[in-house]
Amino acid sequence: MAETADLIVVGGGIVGCAVVQHCAELLPAGARIVLLDRGPVAGATSASCMGHLMVTPDDAQEHAFSATSVKMWAELEEREGGFDYNPTGALYLADDPADVELFAVLQKQFADHGDRAEILDQRQLRELEPGLAHDLPGALFYRGDGVVLPMLACGAMLRQAKKHNPNVDVRPHTPVTGMLLAGDRIVGVQTARGAIHADHVVNCCGVWAPELAEMAGQPRLPIVPRAGNLAITGHHVTPIRTQLLEISYIRFAHGAAKVDPTRTDDPGGHAMNMQPQSNGGCLIGSTRQFRGMDRTLNKALLHRSLLRAQRYAPGLAHAPIVRTWVGLRPYSLDKHPLIGPWPPLRGLWIAAGHEGLGITLSPITGRLLAEQIAGRPTTIDATPYLPARFLR
Amino acid sequence: MSASRLPGADARPVVAFSFDGQRIEARAGDTVAMALWAAGQPALRASSRDGAPRGVLCNMGICYECLVVVDGDTVRGCMQVVRDGMDVRRGGKS
Amino acid sequence: MSGERIVDADVGVLGAGPGGMAAARALAAAGLRVVVLDEGHRAGGQIFRQLPPGAPHEAIAEPPSHAHGHALLDGFSASKVELRSGAIVWDARPGRLWFEQDGTSWLLRCKHVVLAPGAYDRCIPFPGWTLPGVITAGALQVMVRGFGVVPGKRALVVGSGPLLLPTVTALVSAGVQVVAALEASSRWRALRALPGVLGNGARLREALWYGRKLLAAGVRLQWGWTVFGVEGDGRVQRATIGKVDADGRPRRDTARTIEVDVVGAGFGLVPSIEAGLLLGCASRLLPARGGHCLVVDAEQRTSVAGVYAVGEACGIGGAEVAMAEGELAAAAIVRLERGAPIAAAVARKAARERKAADALLRAFAPLPGLHELAQPDTIVCRCEDVTLARAKAAAALHGTSHRAIKVGCRAGMGPCQARICGPSLQALACGQPFVPMDLPVAQAPLKAVRSETILQAPQA
Repeated sequence: MAETADLIVVGGGIVGCAVVQHCAELLPAGARIVLLDRGPVAGATSASCMGHLMVTPDDAQEHAFSATSVKMWAELEEREGGFDYNPTGALYLADDPADVELFAVLQKQFADHGDRAEILDQRQLRELEPGLAHDLPGALFYRGDGVVLPMLACGAMLRQAKKHNPNVDVRPHTPVTGMLLAGDRIVGVQTARGAIHADHVVNCCGVWAPELAEMAGQPRLPIVPRAGNLAITGHHVTPIRTQLLEISYIRFAHGAAKVDPTRTDDPGGHAMNMQPQSNGGCLIGSTRQFRGMDRTLNKALLHRSLLRAQRYAPGLAHAPIVRTWVGLRPYSLDKHPLIGPWPPLRGLWIAAGHEGLGITLSPITGRLLAEQIAGRPTTIDATPYLPARFLR
Repeated sequence: MSASRLPGADARPVVAFSFDGQRIEARAGDTVAMALWAAGQPALRASSRDGAPRGVLCNMGICYECLVVVDGDTVRGCMQVVRDGMDVRRGGKS
Repeated sequence: MSGERIVDADVGVLGAGPGGMAAARALAAAGLRVVVLDEGHRAGGQIFRQLPPGAPHEAIAEPPSHAHGHALLDGFSASKVELRSGAIVWDARPGRLWFEQDGTSWLLRCKHVVLAPGAYDRCIPFPGWTLPGVITAGALQVMVRGFGVVPGKRALVVGSGPLLLPTVTALVSAGVQVVAALEASSRWRALRALPGVLGNGARLREALWYGRKLLAAGVRLQWGWTVFGVEGDGRVQRATIGKVDADGRPRRDTARTIEVDVVGAGFGLVPSIEAGLLLGCASRLLPARGGHCLVVDAEQRTSVAGVYAVGEACGIGGAEVAMAEGELAAAAIVRLERGAPIAAAVARKAARERKAADALLRAFAPLPGLHELAQPDTIVCRCEDVTLARAKAAAALHGTSHRAIKVGCRAGMGPCQARICGPSLQALACGQPFVPMDLPVAQAPLKAVRSETILQAPQA
């Protein structure tokens, strides 16, 4: 006899884990929730990304979306902990005089949404981060940001889920091999270890979400991989305490710049991002490049990251680099994640396509999706993220 | 632990360095880790999270348990040969 | 500018231990230009560690086989081989080895690569093993034979396999009292090694030499015993020892405490295959040879054209195997370059030594029950301070693969890149002692190097 569940979440990355956590909280007590991943929990993108919690003030909606999520991270730390949560704040840096004016631009964006970022002069910057180069022309400091270790955060979310609902069943190393359909409904999934029937299936497969949608006979989802090259130093060598970002980041990272994801020869965007780790190491990124699922290191781009990191924190030149690798961000073609039902197939839900903000946005994503499944009003306006927008 | 040297005449010059401010006498060709072990100082680093004392484990550059800071650079104590006047500090969590 | 930091050679050899030296010497004798990259300070590798020039060496007793080591070292030093000591090889592809030496970034370009990276000690976590003063059996030998440092006053030697014998004799010749020497295997299990010893005259002489040394020092090897834990205030002061069953499971009722100030632990060796994996070489899990090993054909060729592997990287076998395989790999390359056929005796010797080593090591395959020594609060990953309890929680939630455990608790992600915890991590975290470790993933940098080294790497 086939197994049954109330909800199946496919994809055990940060988004899938957040969906499981919030469904465990909002669905009726005792609901059977199964999380499936073909590999480990947190074994793919969530183990190869950076860990920033970052409020993005591009517009009122984005600000509410990211700021609410960052608050939820603080709540998870309070309730569960164990994921190296560190509310470091973020320093937006510049060394190009042309970029200095961006401090005020970004500061105004924060102010427009009732939030606050401070412009630091050279002396204030040196007081806050003595390890930075002394010739930097100040910085923009936003206190609300922070850093987590995503792979441990996945575990924290699942522990929370199990506390709310002991019927949460986490099954790593269990590939989904097919989707079970009945007319215009999804009724379950086929796994390598048998079929599981359920009324709801959530696709949280990140860059692999289109693959799962195709299994259900659905058109290709508008999500493409955007590669990043990363490096991490040894322990207790980092000269920094705060998350550092080049302010030029806002020119092309999440909202602003025009990019063409169909170009696989994309030369790649780049802005330095550095995060202190709880073991005293330092994570160095980040680059952006469309080149399919290729995970070989782009040495030229990695070198640019290392050079920029040294430019801002000269002490890093002698820091031992322990590992370098490539992670793939799930880039959505209209730059907004897909969160909600997929109308052509009743019972199929999507939570994917967060590009570089998946860690930041996972708690609010899990919340919005759980609220929709439970038929509740949503915490913030969820319509900009409804996947149905791509069906028009 | 009261360690010392094998018996016999040692023809090597004495090399002195500082370990967390303390003067340590070694012999040319010693590594930092071996010089400190011979001087009765097997703890070289504080572990990354707990800050517990750690010392040489593999003595051949594999385990990174003997990390020390030499003149500002984090290096493996078992691979770093001593130099006169070198400033060595305990590695790891401070 | 970077042109000055490029070295060209016919053959690049990784490692100046017995295998690398034997290969390099033979290649140079055939007139090939050979560059050897080695992380150590002097040639010899771990087994033939040399004291720094001028250090007193009279006290150290050496087994008969070390005569081969001295002959090889002499031949190697007299040859035209260029040895680059203190070289950390951090990136590789066929014909290209990038290395850091004295803080400078270098590239070795060569037609052929011979991998002779050797092995490192297999560590099995037990309570207190992170205390300063607990070191590997290999580390103890390096201390005595390589630096002339006396490890302590009262030593405990624990572990399994033939390497316990040189560890004990090194301690004895350094004047250390060996309070106990504990071999976890039972005497009966060890008897399986007999055919490998009796069938090989050199190995038999070696065994008898060690037997006499132990007898003269009054040290008796205790079969079926091991360490249950170590304690002390910031350093080793006491150890609890006891008997284990045939699978290595501790029999807690036999525990007793002894006072020691140094503990040498040697539970066998693990092949160093990271460079081979990065080069794309095929590997195979061979538990009796220490774990994942590089696959080579009858002439030491790996699956990647132009890349050869010899000695421990192809499976633990000891110095005699490494030397014979090093000569065989050299002969295969000389045949390609000079057209000279491979002497039948060279190939035969390599096969014979490997066979004898396999027969010997079968008796000391890792005992799965030793994974029960660790307690929930015992650190298993020393780099990231991960306890057994946390590793188990990671396996329970994230999955039972090596990668799942790593991402679930960060074990194996520190500077040693799982070389120390990796071989036991999966068995420990899954609570299934027979779980073999997944193949590790190799990525550049193979070992940590400075950011500057990566940035200044000469382009191929």
